[in-house]
Amino acid sequence: MLLGVVVATTSLLPLGFVVVSTAQLGGGEAADLLFRPRVGDLVWNTTRLLVGGVTLSVVLGVGCAWLVVRTDLPLAGLWHGVLCAPLAVPAFVNGYGWVSTTHAVQSYGGAVLVVSLSYYPLVYLPTVAALRRLDSSVEDVAASLGIGGWSSFLRVVLPAISPAVLGGALLVGLHLLGEYGALQLLNYPTLTTGILDQYRTTFNGPRATLLALVLVVFCLVLLGLELLARGQRRRSRVGSGVARTASRHRLGSATPAWVLGLVGFAALTLGVPLVSLVRWLVRGNSSSLPQGDLGAALGSTLGLAITGGLLATVAALPVAWLAVRHRGVLVTVVERAVYPANALPGIVVALSLVTISIRVVPALYQTLPLLVVGYAILFLPRAVVGVRSTLELAPPVLDDVATSLGCTRAGAARRVTLPLVLPGLAASMALVSLAVGTELTATLLLSPIGTSTLATEFWSRASAVAYGAAAPYALALILLSVPATWLLGRAAVAPARTDPKGPA
Amino acid sequence: MKRTIVLSCLALATAIAGAGCSKDDDGPKVVVYNAQHEQLLEELAPKFEKATGIEVELRNGPDSELAAQLIQEGNASPADVFLTENTPAMSAVERAGLLAPLDAKATDPIPAQYRPSSGLWTGFVARSTVLVYNPSLISEAELPASIMDLADPTYAGKVSFSPTGADFQAIVAAVLDLEGEDATTAWLAGLKANGTTYDGNNVVLEAVNSGESAIGIEYHYYWYRDQAESGDNSDNSELYFFGNQDPGAFLSISGAGVLKGADHPKEAQEFVEFLTSESGQQALADSYALEYPLNPAASLPADVKPFSELQPPTVAISDLDGDQVVELLTEAGFL
Amino acid sequence: MTGLRVTGLTKSFGAVRVLDRVDLDVPGGITAVLGASGCGKTTLLRLVAGFLEPDAGTIRLGDRVVAGEGRPVPPRGRRTGYVPQEGALFPHLDVAANIAFGLGRSRRSAAGRARVAEMLDLVELPRAAASRQPHQLSGGQQQRVALARALAPRPDLVLLDEPFSSLDAGLREETGRAVARALRATEATAVLVTHDQGEALSLADQVAVMADGRFLQVTTPTNVYLDPASAAVAAFVGHAALVPAIASNGRATSPLGELPLRGVREGLVLLAVRPEQVAVTAKDDPGSLAAEVLEVSFFGHDATVRARVAGTDEPVEVTARVPATGVPQPGEEIGVRVVGDVLAFASGATA
Repeated sequence: MLLGVVVATTSLLPLGFVVVSTAQLGGGEAADLLFRPRVGDLVWNTTRLLVGGVTLSVVLGVGCAWLVVRTDLPLAGLWHGVLCAPLAVPAFVNGYGWVSTTHAVQSYGGAVLVVSLSYYPLVYLPTVAALRRLDSSVEDVAASLGIGGWSSFLRVVLPAISPAVLGGALLVGLHLLGEYGALQLLNYPTLTTGILDQYRTTFNGPRATLLALVLVVFCLVLLGLELLARGQRRRSRVGSGVARTASRHRLGSATPAWVLGLVGFAALTLGVPLVSLVRWLVRGNSSSLPQGDLGAALGSTLGLAITGGLLATVAALPVAWLAVRHRGVLVTVVERAVYPANALPGIVVALSLVTISIRVVPALYQTLPLLVVGYAILFLPRAVVGVRSTLELAPPVLDDVATSLGCTRAGAARRVTLPLVLPGLAASMALVSLAVGTELTATLLLSPIGTSTLATEFWSRASAVAYGAAAPYALALILLSVPATWLLGRAAVAPARTDPKGPA
Repeated sequence: MKRTIVLSCLALATAIAGAGCSKDDDGPKVVVYNAQHEQLLEELAPKFEKATGIEVELRNGPDSELAAQLIQEGNASPADVFLTENTPAMSAVERAGLLAPLDAKATDPIPAQYRPSSGLWTGFVARSTVLVYNPSLISEAELPASIMDLADPTYAGKVSFSPTGADFQAIVAAVLDLEGEDATTAWLAGLKANGTTYDGNNVVLEAVNSGESAIGIEYHYYWYRDQAESGDNSDNSELYFFGNQDPGAFLSISGAGVLKGADHPKEAQEFVEFLTSESGQQALADSYALEYPLNPAASLPADVKPFSELQPPTVAISDLDGDQVVELLTEAGFL
Repeated sequence: MTGLRVTGLTKSFGAVRVLDRVDLDVPGGITAVLGASGCGKTTLLRLVAGFLEPDAGTIRLGDRVVAGEGRPVPPRGRRTGYVPQEGALFPHLDVAANIAFGLGRSRRSAAGRARVAEMLDLVELPRAAASRQPHQLSGGQQQRVALARALAPRPDLVLLDEPFSSLDAGLREETGRAVARALRATEATAVLVTHDQGEALSLADQVAVMADGRFLQVTTPTNVYLDPASAAVAAFVGHAALVPAIASNGRATSPLGELPLRGVREGLVLLAVRPEQVAVTAKDDPGSLAAEVLEVSFFGHDATVRARVAGTDEPVEVTARVPATGVPQPGEEIGVRVVGDVLAFASGATA
C-alpha cells in the first residue's frame, strides 16, 4: 500500500509542478506572459491541428476498420497488417520522410495529413477489436425492423463501437498535443514546439511553464470531452446468450475501386516514408556531418529502454496489485492518481522534472537516473494497464487454496502467483521498453549532455537537413518498433481470451 | 522455450548496452564543454591529443543549454574548458564569475578586438553574417544595402531566418548594440511581417535553395560547407556579404575560456593555447568548418571570401546582451 | 476422523453482522450447511479454513483450538482441505502437479507420484488425466481434481464451497455422488456449503439449515425434512403450503378440512402441507375439496399442480404432485385431499 502511494505521488509530480509554478508567478505576471499574440498563434495552430487531425484520423481509422472487418475485401488479413504497419514508423520519422520529399507539407494541410497518416492506427486498432466483438444480432434485429445499410451503420453499429472510437480519438488527440519532432520538421508551430523553443533559449523560465500549463489544460479538456461523449449508456450486449460473428457485406463490383483506394492509401502511409528512407540510405551519408556511432547510440537506447521499462513495470506493480486485490477509498485514489500522467505530454513531464531537480534535488539534475524516472512517469499508465490485466490471471482464490495446502504467503506468491504472472509481466515490460526506445521529446530535455539515443541522434541530423545521415537512424527506429506493432496488430484480431479456469 | 528466448534477448541487449558505455582511462585529460560544431572539435581534438598526449573528453550541446548548465553547476562543474559558438553565451558565463584568467600564451596570438579586455576568455574562430539568396527569385541588385532594410515592406514574403537559434540571436544582439533598442524593435517587427521562420540554419539554406524563400539570413559557412560537399542545398543559391560596417556584416566570435573550478587547469590552458596557436588555427582552417580563424597566421582556402575583404562593424563583444535579445524576440512574437 | 466444533462464532463486516453466535458440531462424516445466498455460510467456511478471523467465538479442530484463544492458527497450520466454488486449479501446473501441490517435499518422489495415482483413482478419474492441463478438462473433472488436491495431504477436515453450482445440471448429481464416495472412502470429515437442498439432503449425513447468520436446525436429512423445527425450515427444505388452522387434541381444523396432526399442538397453528401429501382426485370425489387448477408445470417424470381451493373466506393455494399420466389442465376443476399427518407450527397470527 505504501509503495502504491509513493508511486502515485511521484506520477502526480509533473501536474503538481505546473500548477504550483503558475501559482507562484502571480496572476498579473502570468496574464501578461500568457495573453500575447504569439501564444494566441500557438493556441490557434494547436486547436486547428487537433480538430483536423483527430477528425481525419477517425474517418480513416473507422473506414479502414469497417472495410477490413465487415466487408468481403479480398486478402483482409494482409490489409490488416498493412494498415497497422504505420505504427512502426514513429511520427517524426514519417515527417522526415515527407519533408525530405516535398516542401509542400510545411503547411497546415501538410501537418494534418502527416499526423493523421501517422496516428490513424490508434483509432483503427480498437475499432477493429470492437467490430469483431460486436454482436451481429443487433444488426440483424435492426434489419428485421426495416433499417439497413448506411442507416444501420449510423444508428446501430456506430453507437455500439463508439467507446472504442472515442478512446482512439482521445489517444490521437493526446499524441498530437505532445508531438514535437514531426511538427518541427514540418515547420508547424504548436504549443509543444513553442515550449521547446522557449526551453532552448530561456531554459526553464516561466514562459515555458505557462505554455505547459496551457497544454495541460488542453489535455484535460480532451479527457473531459471524451468522458462526456462516452456518457453513461451501456454499450455491451444486454441479456445473456452467445454473440454471433457478423456476416460480411459484399463489395461486389466496387471491389477493385476499394482495393485501389487502399493501395493508394498504403502508398501514402507506408510508401512515402519508406521509399524516402531507402532513397536517402542509398544516396549515403552527407559527409559534412559526423558518421556518428550507430552502435553506441543503439547501446544507449537499449540500455535506457530496458531500464525505463523495468522501472515503469516495477512501479506499476503496487498500483495494479492494489487495484486488483483490494478495495477502499485510498486504493481508488492511488489508481486514479496515475491516470493524469497519461494525459500529460512528454514535454511537460520532462520540463517539470528538470525544474524540480534543479530547485530541489540538484544532484539528480542532468543525470541518467532522472531520465529513467522521467520515462517511468511517462509510461506508467501504459505499464499499469498491462500489469493489471496480467495480475487478473492470478485471482486471490488461488492464494487461498495454496495457503490451505500448507504454503506460507510468500510460498504461495512464489509457487502460484509468480509463475502465472511472470510471462505477462515480461510482455508488458517489453512493450513499454519499446515505447521508451523511440521516445524523442522528453529525451531531448532530460538526457545528460553526451548521452544520445537513436531518436536524439536521428533528430540532430534530420533537423539539420542532413537527411542522408539521418536515414540509418530512422531505419533503426523503425526496426525497433516492429515487434510491438506486430503484437498490437495481433491482439486486435485475437479471439476472445478463454477463461484460464477452463470451461464452466 | 519461451523463457530461453526472453533470457537470451535480455543478455544480448545488456551486452550491447554495456559495449556502448565508455571505458575510463587514467592519464592526463581535459573535459571540454563544447557548443561549437561537434565535428570541428572531433577533427581538432585528435591533433591536440597527438601533440600533447592529453586526452580530450568532449561534451557537446547547444550554446544556451551548456551555458545554463555551467551556471547551474557552478564551480562544482566537471568542465575544464568552455567553447561557444557565439558570444552571448560566453558573456553569460563570464558574468556568473565562473571563468579563470587565460595565460598570455593563449590570448596573444589573437588580435585584441576579438577578445574581451577582462582576459577571461578569447575568440578563436569567427563567422560572418551573410544573406543567402536565390537568383531566380531575386537579383543581386534588388538586395538591400543594409540588413535593417529587410524590414521594409518590399521584402514581404521573401525573407527567412531561424530566430530560435543562438546564431540569429547573436546577430540581433549586434543590431541591438549598434542601432539601439527602438530600431531593433522596429526591425524585428518588420521581419516578423516579412519573414518565414524555420528551425535551424541548415533548414534556411535548404529553403532558399529549393525556392521556398528568396533570401535567408545566416552565417557564411553553411553555404561554403554545402558547396564543398555535394552542393545539394546550395547550388541554386548565392551568397551576399554586406559591407560598410553594416550590422549585416556582423562578425560573430566563437569563444574559448577556462573555468575557475577546473579539475585540470594546466591541461585546460594548454588546450586553449592549442586552439589559438598557429598549428591549431591552421588545422581549424583546413578542416571542414570553413569558419574564419582569428590568428592572422592562418588562412582559409581560396574559394572562401578572404577575411581581409570583410567589413564588419565594431562591436564590443563583452556587451552583447543575450537576455535582452530574448526579451525583444519574445515581444516581437518569435518566442 | 477429526471433529469440528464451533462455538459462539460471530463475524461482522462493517455494520452488517454476518454470523451471530453460531454453534456447530461436526463429529465426522459429511455435514451440509444449507442456506440461501447471503446467509453467511461461505463466511463460516472461510472462518473455519482460516482465511478470516472471527470477532468472537472459538473454532476447534479435533482437540486443537485454532481460533478464539490467543493468535489464530494460519490456514497452512490447520490441516484443512479447501475446495472452492470454481475448483480453482492452478492453471500453470498439470493435473498431477496440482494434486501433489500440498504434499511438501515428497511431491516429486515416487511416494508422491503414488499418492497422486491413488487420488485419481479415488475421485474416479483415469490415470491418463495426470498429464493433462486444467483447461483441457471439463467442469466436473476439474472439480474432482480439486477435491483430489485437497485430499492428497490427508487433511483432518475438508471444506467445500458450493462445489457443484458451476456445473451443468446433468453433471451435478453424478459429480456429487462421486465426491461423496471419495469422502466416505477416506473417512474424512467434511463440511459442504450449498444452497441446493437436493444436494444437501442426498449427500450429507447431517444438515445444518442456516438463515441470517444463525442455524435454524441441525439434524439428519430425514429429520430436517420430516420434522422441521419451524415453519421457515419446513418451507425452505422441500416445498410446503402454509395454511392457518386451529389445533386441539391432535387434530386441526383448517380450510383444507379436519386433518390429523403430527406432534402435539394447541391453539392457533400454521400447517405445512407437503405437495406429496396432496392427492388430486375427480372434482366431486367424496372427501375431497373442490379446487381450480391455476398452473401446471410438467417435468416429464411428474408434474406439479397449483390449485386454489374453493369455498374458503381467504384464498388457499396448495401444490400437488401428480404422475405424468394424470395431469390436469389449467382452469380445470379438480378435487384435492390431504393424506397423512400434517406438520403444524405455532402461529403468531391472530385469528
